[in-house]
Amino acid sequence: MNGWIIFFLLLALMLTGMPISIALGLTVLTFLFTMTTIPIEIVSQRLFTGLDSFAIMAIPFFILAGNFLITGGVARRMIRFAMALVGHLHGGLAIAGVFACALFAAVSGSSPATVVAIGSILIPAIARAGYPKRFGVGAIGTAGALGILIPPSIVMVIYSVSTNTSVGKLFIAGIIPGILLAVLLMGITWIIAKRNNYPRMQRAGFKEILVSFREAIWGLLLIFIVIGGIYGGLFTPTEAAAMSAVYAFIVAVFVYKDLKLKDVSRVLLESANMSAMLLYIITNAILFSFLLTSENIPQAMAQWIIDQHLATWTFLLACNVILLIAGNFMEPSSIVLLLAPILFPVAMRLGIDPIHFGIVMTINMEVGLLHPPVGLNLYVASSIAKMGLTETTMAFAPWLIVMVAYLLLITYVPFIAMWLPNLLYAK
Amino acid sequence: MLNRVLDHLEEWLIATFMAAATIIIFLAVLHRYASGVSWLWEFTQKVHVSWAQELCIYLFIWMAKFGAAYGVRTGIHVGVDVVVNHVSEKKRRFMVVFGLLAGAFFTATVALLGGKFVYQIYITGQVSPDLEMPMWIIYLAVPLGSSLMCYRFLQVAWKFHRTGELPKHEVAHVEGIESFEQKGAT
Repeated sequence: MNGWIIFFLLLALMLTGMPISIALGLTVLTFLFTMTTIPIEIVSQRLFTGLDSFAIMAIPFFILAGNFLITGGVARRMIRFAMALVGHLHGGLAIAGVFACALFAAVSGSSPATVVAIGSILIPAIARAGYPKRFGVGAIGTAGALGILIPPSIVMVIYSVSTNTSVGKLFIAGIIPGILLAVLLMGITWIIAKRNNYPRMQRAGFKEILVSFREAIWGLLLIFIVIGGIYGGLFTPTEAAAMSAVYAFIVAVFVYKDLKLKDVSRVLLESANMSAMLLYIITNAILFSFLLTSENIPQAMAQWIIDQHLATWTFLLACNVILLIAGNFMEPSSIVLLLAPILFPVAMRLGIDPIHFGIVMTINMEVGLLHPPVGLNLYVASSIAKMGLTETTMAFAPWLIVMVAYLLLITYVPFIAMWLPNLLYAK
Repeated sequence: MLNRVLDHLEEWLIATFMAAATIIIFLAVLHRYASGVSWLWEFTQKVHVSWAQELCIYLFIWMAKFGAAYGVRTGIHVGVDVVVNHVSEKKRRFMVVFGLLAGAFFTATVALLGGKFVYQIYITGQVSPDLEMPMWIIYLAVPLGSSLMCYRFLQVAWKFHRTGELPKHEVAHVEGIESFEQKGAT
């Protein structure tokens, strides 16, 4: 009963359009003052201790690193390297764009950031090179979603915080599905381009490949700092995030010299703004899930779902549907914070691997980023391309269909995600 | 005038907290590896950085509380806008003002609860585990940040009432990105 009131209140508040964090907070307060016996002191303490975790602090560091990479010219050099490698194929510029998105995703933890970094350079360039604008927008906009699947990933950090799973394992588990998705997206781009006979670029000489690789190497090295550092036990994930922020700063300011020292404070401020917003949602979501847990709501829901005798596969399908619908209304971090505490206990009771479940959730979030009305990537892509939302949605369609099929594949073949972490962590 | 000082102070504080936390963790990691080098031992043993993680967390909590207030000013706190975008202008204005005032109400409540809590901690004289800093100073971030946030909500609501404008955070715009051609790299 109480559970229904909580959810109904939250839904009503959210639909008024107020910030999600405020809607969460007000729901908690209303409930607290009217229906429960939890002492208010515990709640005011939670306001502070909710964030008191070193693992959460990976989020601001990854955001900072990402902003240094965007402004520091790393994306531009990755694009040049990608063009040298695959530019001569049909639709080469767009395929190179997808490839560059995958490379950038391996150093950045956010999807919209990946679209901004690669898209703001390549989407106009693709249109100028004589492809239809839709083609470029679709390829780059959807490939940007790789940002949260290929490690590092802010969404995975949030999942690990709210379910107590290992960030390191999640990151490792994202590698193979990430590469697979990148290859699939490049494949569909190539097929579309070949069928329409889109122009190709001149094959880059071996020298250009070498030169562009040498230029891009400073950015590419960051992949090894994060993954190698965490897996090799050199750093904790949060330390790795801080190291990559410092490294990205050095590359942007002193190696590539694309970022002036006086602009650094603006990058800091912008990153602080973004991180504070996420941390604020996290604080209130932690309060909310504390409330749910103390009212035994997730447990009751888990029991209810178990009592329905759902097979594992129907539960997973239901999860996909719920998450995709939620993706219509909220951005990924909020969805994971709200739904992971509810779905995760059920998944555990059904014997689903926590890491696999995390990957499935992450891919759902990616797909959610791509379709209206609240697809963040959609907004970013449409505003870069100066294209209407409806047209952008149409442009995304072919790639989006591939991604939904891919989501089902990863959901029902856990082996793809779990093979590498099982291999590496089998001790 | 006072508003301008407050704006600058806010921006300066959160950017500094961000930078400080990053540098501290970076130095702590360097220190950990330098401690493994025998000829550096003489220098590294004199410095202890066991408090680095704790300080980093506190810096980020302060950054988060004040940054959330800054975020109200820049319009980065987004909600679900499906309904708002499909109702009449008059209803929309009402809903926006309602949302902003709800924000002000929530943050004011949190500021009060937080303030009461800080007072209780102050009486117990509790200190943090590694830094041994008084906990009430650290917890002060909650009432201070939340009060500032409440003020920002009221400010935005007032401005919306008068001009009909809302701050909007531009996602696709990033400082310092030039188009491909301008840089001349192909």
